[in-house]
Amino acid sequence: MKPRTVELLFLVLAGAAATMAYVSVYAGRYGEVSRASIVYALFFVGVFVVLHFVVRWLLPLADPYLLPVTALLCALGLTAIYRLEPRLAQLQGRWLLVGAALFILTVVVVRDPLRLDRYRYVIGAVGLGLLVLTIVAGTEVRGARLWIRLFGMSIQPSEFAKLAIVVFLAGYLDDKKVMLSVPTRRLLGVPVPATKYFGPLLIMWVLSLVMLVFMKDFGMSLLFMAVFVALLYMATTRIVYVVLGAGLFAAAAAFALSVVPHVRDRFDIWIDPWRYAETTGYQLLQSLFTMADGGVVGAGFGRGYLLYAAGDPVVPDMATDFIFTALANEMGLLGAVAVILCYLLFVWRGFRIAVWAPDGFSKLLAGGLATAFGLQTFIIIGGVTRLIPLTGVTLPFMSYGGSSIVANFILVALLLMVSHRTAVVHSGDEVQRRRLAELR
Amino acid sequence: MNRAVARIFVIAAVLFAALIVNLTYWMVVRAEDLRTAPENHRRIAQEMKHPRGDLLAYDGSVLAGSVRRSGYYRRRYPQGSLAPHLLGYDSVRYGRTGLEAELNELLTGESLELGTQGWVDRILGRRPDGADVRLTLVPAVQRAAQQALKGQQGAVVALDPGTGAVIAAASAPSFDLERLESRWDRYSGDPSAPLFDRALQGLFVPGSAFKVVTAAAALDAGAVDPESRFTDTGTYVVYGGKVTNYGGAVYGLHDFTTALTLSINTTFGKVGNDVGRKQLTAGAEAFGFWQRPPLALPEKAVAVSGRYRDGALLEPTEDMDPLGTAWFACGQENALASPLQMALVAGAVANGGRVMVPYLVYEVLAADGTTVSTAEPEMWLEAMTPQTAATLNTMMQRVVTAGTGTGAALEGIPVAGKTGTGEKGDGTNVAWFIGFAPADDPQVAVAVAIDGVSATGGEVAAPIAAAVLRAALEQVSLP
Repeated sequence: MKPRTVELLFLVLAGAAATMAYVSVYAGRYGEVSRASIVYALFFVGVFVVLHFVVRWLLPLADPYLLPVTALLCALGLTAIYRLEPRLAQLQGRWLLVGAALFILTVVVVRDPLRLDRYRYVIGAVGLGLLVLTIVAGTEVRGARLWIRLFGMSIQPSEFAKLAIVVFLAGYLDDKKVMLSVPTRRLLGVPVPATKYFGPLLIMWVLSLVMLVFMKDFGMSLLFMAVFVALLYMATTRIVYVVLGAGLFAAAAAFALSVVPHVRDRFDIWIDPWRYAETTGYQLLQSLFTMADGGVVGAGFGRGYLLYAAGDPVVPDMATDFIFTALANEMGLLGAVAVILCYLLFVWRGFRIAVWAPDGFSKLLAGGLATAFGLQTFIIIGGVTRLIPLTGVTLPFMSYGGSSIVANFILVALLLMVSHRTAVVHSGDEVQRRRLAELR
Repeated sequence: MNRAVARIFVIAAVLFAALIVNLTYWMVVRAEDLRTAPENHRRIAQEMKHPRGDLLAYDGSVLAGSVRRSGYYRRRYPQGSLAPHLLGYDSVRYGRTGLEAELNELLTGESLELGTQGWVDRILGRRPDGADVRLTLVPAVQRAAQQALKGQQGAVVALDPGTGAVIAAASAPSFDLERLESRWDRYSGDPSAPLFDRALQGLFVPGSAFKVVTAAAALDAGAVDPESRFTDTGTYVVYGGKVTNYGGAVYGLHDFTTALTLSINTTFGKVGNDVGRKQLTAGAEAFGFWQRPPLALPEKAVAVSGRYRDGALLEPTEDMDPLGTAWFACGQENALASPLQMALVAGAVANGGRVMVPYLVYEVLAADGTTVSTAEPEMWLEAMTPQTAATLNTMMQRVVTAGTGTGAALEGIPVAGKTGTGEKGDGTNVAWFIGFAPADDPQVAVAVAIDGVSATGGEVAAPIAAAVLRAALEQVSLP
């Protein structure tokens, strides 16, 4: 079967699931199955069908699973948000349209991901600039400085900076990987490459440290550092960088624990939420209680107890950080595991694209994006389930938040472009090959 | 390079597997522990999927009903915030209190009292129907009590002395059950503690209202009779200290009835020591002091009256010297009493010396409307002999006709009572009135306590008691 046929088939399945979920939530709220609820669901399916045709037109050989998984996750997320706060779902729907538009724009403008490598330093500088901007002009929400306010909207630049820095690092590390893998001297018995090549990497470490202290955001800081170390390892295959990176981050984390009270709080709650049941630990405990109520099969969409009588969610920030809790309650363990497996499927496709990619830059780009996507998912799901300390990052495609959804649509576009390029290079498709060559 | 990529994917897969294992741990292995954790009120949400029995007033009107909204049955309160402290709240967020907590198994239909059908239903996985509970509260009296308390910090308890049925129990300031969740922060942060039930949980210095207890003990012991003569010089010097009268008054030659009528401290101090600390505290115990009144409510919802120091209940005669005994006889010196307890004191005098078990549930009605059980009045304690009760009744009528309690008088109906002005030591008083009416055929006993005022019980509390007694006696039927 052709990849696009597979994609369309799975999109139809995702669309059917989305429609059912939405109709179910609507029925739970208003006690009726209305035509309006079906129209909304079909509109949602329509957006992805449009994306499918854009991919069919420009990236016909791209990976067929990413778009359907994205659609399913978006649908579940949007449904859960609608179920919790209908007003936010409307905004999220708009952001979904913006995300879809940027997806198309990315595909149309970039076409070949290799072209991004040419602007590596510009892109890297933009990423860095976004982070600096957040630190300088950011507003603090619940202890973390993550947002900047622009034209009445709250934007989370780190979501975009994440993409830019992966693009930059992929290019930079691919270029310098040989020099980086050859140690020129030893420091404390550890082989260290020349400072000239190592310098930018230290900058990355300092950057994540700065994020930790000034943005007070443990999650994003961990994400940046881990993506960086993963890329370094993929580029050089030297395990020493992983050990070194982990050590440096552990040192930074220990430092943050003693210096940033916000981070300290999160750590204490993780160790013993019961001690803070009525204060800082309330949110996490309510999340666990809410999930426990879901049981194996869940309460059913729109049937869980997620809103108090006054209409506010049982777990504060349920539509953003704790969206997974809402899903686990209503879809049960089975549904929640299915969602985790959907994310794993996405991550697997990402790494698969990296493995098959014909050139170093593409490999690192796809591998870096898959790492960032997977790790972010792990950090937030692990956080709300008390596997790791809770830090507020968004659950890709599901959490309410415009920046996150738009950035992740661009991420999907980039992965699809890499996979298309791979398939073209590997296949004998002369037409596509010529079309790619023309772009360069 | 590909091997490195593959390794990172393996790490990712392991991390995701950890997510799944951890999720299974919370959602299956530890789910029951989480569901039953005291911090977790979510099981209330499970029960909210089924209609909850109504809480009805004595007249059959609905106090707390059950209405379905987006799949869950939520409480509604058709009569507004009537007796919110007593009914208690039923909130997934803040848990359950009051009657909602105490009667939960009846209201959900799980109680064995409703027969084995509830069990059978549960075993078959069906949900039993909740029972309605008809209370002894009389809305008109409750409303009168709440109205009279408006703007005050205090409480009113009214009960039927012959049965122990609680007709009204009001506490002010109050709260709105319907808006509890949205106003929680305001309520819980308010220094005047609107969520606190002053009627049953509040402990106040009883002051001279306690003299009814002293008088009962003294009359029972034969230490005095109503005509016993005393001479007051304004001070009673005892054990290196002295007992003085309220406002520094001097009364001269008087009898025991007058001592109660005008609330003469020096005489009651002397009588207290004549009776002796042991018999005095034993007399108080006979009224229910040092015991939790057996009102069917959650343990902590009903306070124990007695002698307290630094918030801890003392043994009856612990550290009690003759000066302490004298002041205790006047309801000062570590004495603390709840309005419910003082209503029981008034009720005992009204009921020939017998303290009835106070109760709130008049009858339980199964979902099909049949009566499951009806309250049967029971005696709790014998506080004094019937003769002493009759004597005290007459003496207490004098308080209202010619003493400190004239503010509680009702036209055409004899009222018996006793005022109290408990001095808190911070310059403010607790103003009390306890009493009952009609004195010759008692239908209702009442206790009023108003906290933090500069006026006396006769000035503040007696008129409130009059309003509540009047409202109760206007009723065609009382439980």
